Amino acid sequence: MLRIRCPYCEEARSEEEFAYAGEAHIRRPEDPEALSDREWGEYLHFRTNARGPHREMWVHAAGCRRYFNVLRDTVSYEILDVYPIGKAPSDDSTGNGA
Amino acid sequence: MGTPRRLPSGGRIDRDRPIAFSFNRREMRGFSGDTLASALLAHGVATVARSFKYGRPRGIVGHGVEEPNAIVDLGVGAAMTPNVRATEIELFAGLEARTSRAPWQGAVGPLARYLPAGFYYKMFLHARGFRTWERFLRATAGLGGVPEGPDPDTYDHLNHHCDVLVVGAGPAGLAAALEACRAGARVVLADEQAEFGGSLLAETGPVDGEHASSWVARTVAELESHPDAVLLARSTVSGLYDHNFVTVVERRPDAAGAPDVAGAPDVAGARERLHRVRAGQVVLATGAIERPLVFANNDLPGVMLASSVFTYLHRYAVVPGERMVLCTTNDSAYRTAIDWVGAGREVAAIVDARPEPSGAAMQAATRAGIEVIHGHAVIEARGRKRVREAVVAPLHGEDDRLTGPPRRIGCDLIACSGGWTPTLHLAAQTGVKPRWSDEAIAFLPVPAGDAVTWAGSAGGARSLPACLQTGAAAGAMAASRTGHGEGRVSAEPPETDEPPETPSRALFLVPHQRPPSRAPKQFVDLQLDVTAADIELAAREGYESVEHVKRYTALGFGTEQGKLGNVNGVAILARALGQDIAATGTTMFRPSYTPVTFGAVAGRDVGGFFDPERRTPMHGWHEEQGAEWEDVGRWKRPRYYPKAGEGMQDAVNRECLAARDGVAILDASTLGKIDIQGADAHVFLDRIYTTGFRRLGVGRCRYGLMLHEDGTIFDDGVTARIAGHRYLMHTTTGNAEAVFDWLELWRQTEWPDLDVYCTSVTDHWATAALVGPKSREVLGRVCDDIDLSRDAFRFMDVREGHVAGVPARVFRISFSGELSFEVNVPAHRGREVWDALIEAGAEFDITPYGTEAMHVLRAEKGFIIVGQDTDGSMTPADMGMDWAVRRNKPFGFLGERSLSLPDHLREDRLQFVGLASGDAVLPEGAPLVEVPDGAPPIPNQGFVSSAYHSARLSRPIALGLVRGGRTRLGEILHCALADGRNLPVTIVDPVFYDPDGKAQDV
Amino acid sequence: MSDRPGVVLRREPARGCLNLRGNPRDAGFRNAVAAVTGVELPVESCTWGPAGDAAVYWLGPDEWLLVLPAGREADVERRLREALAGSFSVVDTSGTHCFLNLSGPARGYVLQKSSPYDFHPRNFPAGRCVQTVFAKASALVAANPDGSFDLVVRRSYADYVRDWIADAEEEYGFARG
Repeated sequence: MLRIRCPYCEEARSEEEFAYAGEAHIRRPEDPEALSDREWGEYLHFRTNARGPHREMWVHAAGCRRYFNVLRDTVSYEILDVYPIGKAPSDDSTGNGA
Repeated sequence: MGTPRRLPSGGRIDRDRPIAFSFNRREMRGFSGDTLASALLAHGVATVARSFKYGRPRGIVGHGVEEPNAIVDLGVGAAMTPNVRATEIELFAGLEARTSRAPWQGAVGPLARYLPAGFYYKMFLHARGFRTWERFLRATAGLGGVPEGPDPDTYDHLNHHCDVLVVGAGPAGLAAALEACRAGARVVLADEQAEFGGSLLAETGPVDGEHASSWVARTVAELESHPDAVLLARSTVSGLYDHNFVTVVERRPDAAGAPDVAGAPDVAGARERLHRVRAGQVVLATGAIERPLVFANNDLPGVMLASSVFTYLHRYAVVPGERMVLCTTNDSAYRTAIDWVGAGREVAAIVDARPEPSGAAMQAATRAGIEVIHGHAVIEARGRKRVREAVVAPLHGEDDRLTGPPRRIGCDLIACSGGWTPTLHLAAQTGVKPRWSDEAIAFLPVPAGDAVTWAGSAGGARSLPACLQTGAAAGAMAASRTGHGEGRVSAEPPETDEPPETPSRALFLVPHQRPPSRAPKQFVDLQLDVTAADIELAAREGYESVEHVKRYTALGFGTEQGKLGNVNGVAILARALGQDIAATGTTMFRPSYTPVTFGAVAGRDVGGFFDPERRTPMHGWHEEQGAEWEDVGRWKRPRYYPKAGEGMQDAVNRECLAARDGVAILDASTLGKIDIQGADAHVFLDRIYTTGFRRLGVGRCRYGLMLHEDGTIFDDGVTARIAGHRYLMHTTTGNAEAVFDWLELWRQTEWPDLDVYCTSVTDHWATAALVGPKSREVLGRVCDDIDLSRDAFRFMDVREGHVAGVPARVFRISFSGELSFEVNVPAHRGREVWDALIEAGAEFDITPYGTEAMHVLRAEKGFIIVGQDTDGSMTPADMGMDWAVRRNKPFGFLGERSLSLPDHLREDRLQFVGLASGDAVLPEGAPLVEVPDGAPPIPNQGFVSSAYHSARLSRPIALGLVRGGRTRLGEILHCALADGRNLPVTIVDPVFYDPDGKAQDV
Repeated sequence: MSDRPGVVLRREPARGCLNLRGNPRDAGFRNAVAAVTGVELPVESCTWGPAGDAAVYWLGPDEWLLVLPAGREADVERRLREALAGSFSVVDTSGTHCFLNLSGPARGYVLQKSSPYDFHPRNFPAGRCVQTVFAKASALVAANPDGSFDLVVRRSYADYVRDWIADAEEEYGFARG
């Protein structure tokens, strides 16, 4: 059971209050119609599935309902960073930085 | 029955409070303060169970959580709990316990030679062989009975947050908790025993100049005085999970109908309570369990752990025998023999495996007149139903081999100690494997971060002073890491008179004259009957990983989870593989540490609390009308309202006809409703829905489909423009929260620049749908500030006004194809407005209708239900709903790009059609095929998604999805029924009634 | 067990509720809200404040729940719409919320049985409010100066929550207000 610090409620809350919302920093293509089927398929279906530090989105579903980014180690489950949507990652050591 | 093994005085039992109980239907007596195990031993009961595989007699071995044999079903009937350790059951009046293993079980005995290690694996290689054996094995396998009915007891969960959780209230745990409390931390202290103190409860020496038990009492009293300390006795920490989430199972025996357990608080409520602790720091003071020695026939009743004999003697005033042989590899067991003599019993000999033991323990034994046979070990126990003699032989000083002939020593108790195994289960649950220490002759915990630490013998401490000192230090450090105190202990550790220990000998499998395969059985895992020979066999057959050997032999697989056998098994495997123990390693430990009841896991989330019931403001009215219910998501919705003598189809027919011919009313409050406002609200909706929203006028409504990015339909509904920059979106009942999350996802993460806000108002509005040609007249009786005429209030308009005097929004939208007004009022006034509408409709015979009639009405019109007629793979084109898709919008809409993917353009995709089926209502979900009786495989042509009897059309109707269906109108398919019949069905247009939409636009 | 109830659960009458959205860093927004309602919006996360016969709860970084005496919500909504400019949202949610008050010496246990949030006074003193999981529903919980807790739950879940609390508090003795 994770404890996640909500950057908006400004305190650590229990995992039950949150929902996972997929990999972070995946921008929707500006002009989908300009993409090939393969490129659109990459956006739809392909994810980094990192072993180790991984940037992902969570939503504070039972709390303030805000989405935010989490840098979490998928091996140790340690949460290394929490930061708002729209903020660039503090470093790009992971495979899925901006 | 008498209690020949009870000493006349001593122990922590209350002799003024005798307790009657029964074991295997025999009436017995014990005292308050006894465990079931101590009371059985006081009676001289030797055999408590038959072994799992061989049916051999087994006695009590341990005194706590490690006990492998004395496993009982506690209680009778529905309240029975199977597989409880007798060593952990506090005696209470009327206790009824039975051995979990029935006498006729374990009857494999004579056949055992055909069931070697890995038997299951070998049988699985040959399916026929397994089927042959399965029936026989099923009858003999298993532990414990099944309760006879629903559990009458209640269970509960309680959440805790603390700075420091201390696991174990022995000397180290008490010292740690004390320091953490003194530093000002919020502390939870949990211990599996009824009383705090752990090993100190049997301790005879002084602690801090006073009797150990009074030090315990003083310490507990100080802990109790801290307002932020939570003390949990009878509470087993079963799991240590990520981020220090810890589950603690508290047993509350008095709540189970045993109010006279000494010292138990007067509590009501749950029989067991699962504490869910979120701890900043966890200090594991889980102690150590004495390791048995593996020798021939070491499973005979009368072979016990030395520390358990010591505990029974001092804590319960019970002597589990008369004449003892103590077999040891270390100093710690000596005092068991010395105190045995002190209790007036005989010690035949102390057999010490060490070549030349010396030191204080040895000297004290000699002073007590006990013969110490050094350089020897007990290689075999003999006796039929219990120990009669010990076979003792000289050991080589370094190699584990015999150096001389054996001799026999008469005895009825063999107390043994192969050293100590720190209890590392919880530490290892963090995923970090313990490391072997040749010096400690034990696996020791390995740090994983700094949020979990350990103290006392769990960390390898071997003396009471070391336990107290490491405990205090760990408590102070843990508190400081949560911001309390400086990490320094508040006082010197308490003094004890324990002498220093001399080195132990590493001995696991005691050699025999014959090799393990030929010697009498040498048990490693008593609970699952795994022997040294089994492990050697596994090694010979090529298993090298300890994890594989565990699964091949079942070593440590029982509820005992390797507490006694793990290290011995690893050591025997290491030797068989010719490698050291460190290289062999230990198996992984996972939650739960001990078995957890299903009741504790479920807590109070049972019965009506299993899944919350959401109710509309009109719920009470539906109840009064005797509605039958349908669960839609968590909502309770009336399915139909049967009148006296009416079946479901009769009621639904009546309700449908009322809606088509007169007036009917539906509680539509469960539909999801989302308020969307802001200067860019229309832009937002334009992107979310397939439909266009930029030109929707104020007071108008528009239907939309919501797609996932992969182009599949996710939700549908009508959205109304309430004011200039303000919209109200309707979602399907089951999808309301998913849609809201979806909107927020895009609003917050991709389009934060849009000026738009979404607010769920599902619960704010009560909605009554007035349906039917008479609905305008009914509404007119209770609404005088909205012009309800056809031209002033058109189809797909929304108006604000008052209904029955309550501010209301009225939508002219229709899910039935009839004239319809959906009246929305704030939920807290929903019931009064509903009552007013019912009253106003009385003269028109207004008929309430439920979800079943709603489904029929919409199916007659060919309206889809997302989730029933779609399954997550359908596009708008599949459903024939291209009319709801607006291309060339400025931004496009979510999922639009996917609609042109080649797979979505295939002509043989499943397409939405109507199905005409003669006289039978088709089963929903039934597959459709072209030929009724061809040779398999028969290609699937689609399936039935909705099917009803239509009262209006006086025949069954159905909707379904058929490969390329829209080009196949008129074609006949066959619907395969579960009973083997094939019904012919004709593919037709999905709109069965009023295809021109005249009825709703009047 | 003593005769004194360990837990007292009181169902409060309906109130006027407005969900308010806007930018807390926009002084114009804050001032306009204060001018119409007499309430200072709490900008610190997870706090609430009373203001006369009204109260306002922080729900998120740009979201508040304004609670008014029943019947005043329509008028206040109208005046807010007139006073506010730029990016904002006002939604009447009076029908959404049911208000419960939990008091009595064992009130904390009821919350411990129901929610993973830490309601210990060290972490949740008067003036704090939190939206969290409550049994299998969710709730807004607020700590009052008198030590009692206000629970704000969605109307459709109100029966479930009250039944749950009744079941949870049974062992402590309870009373209905």
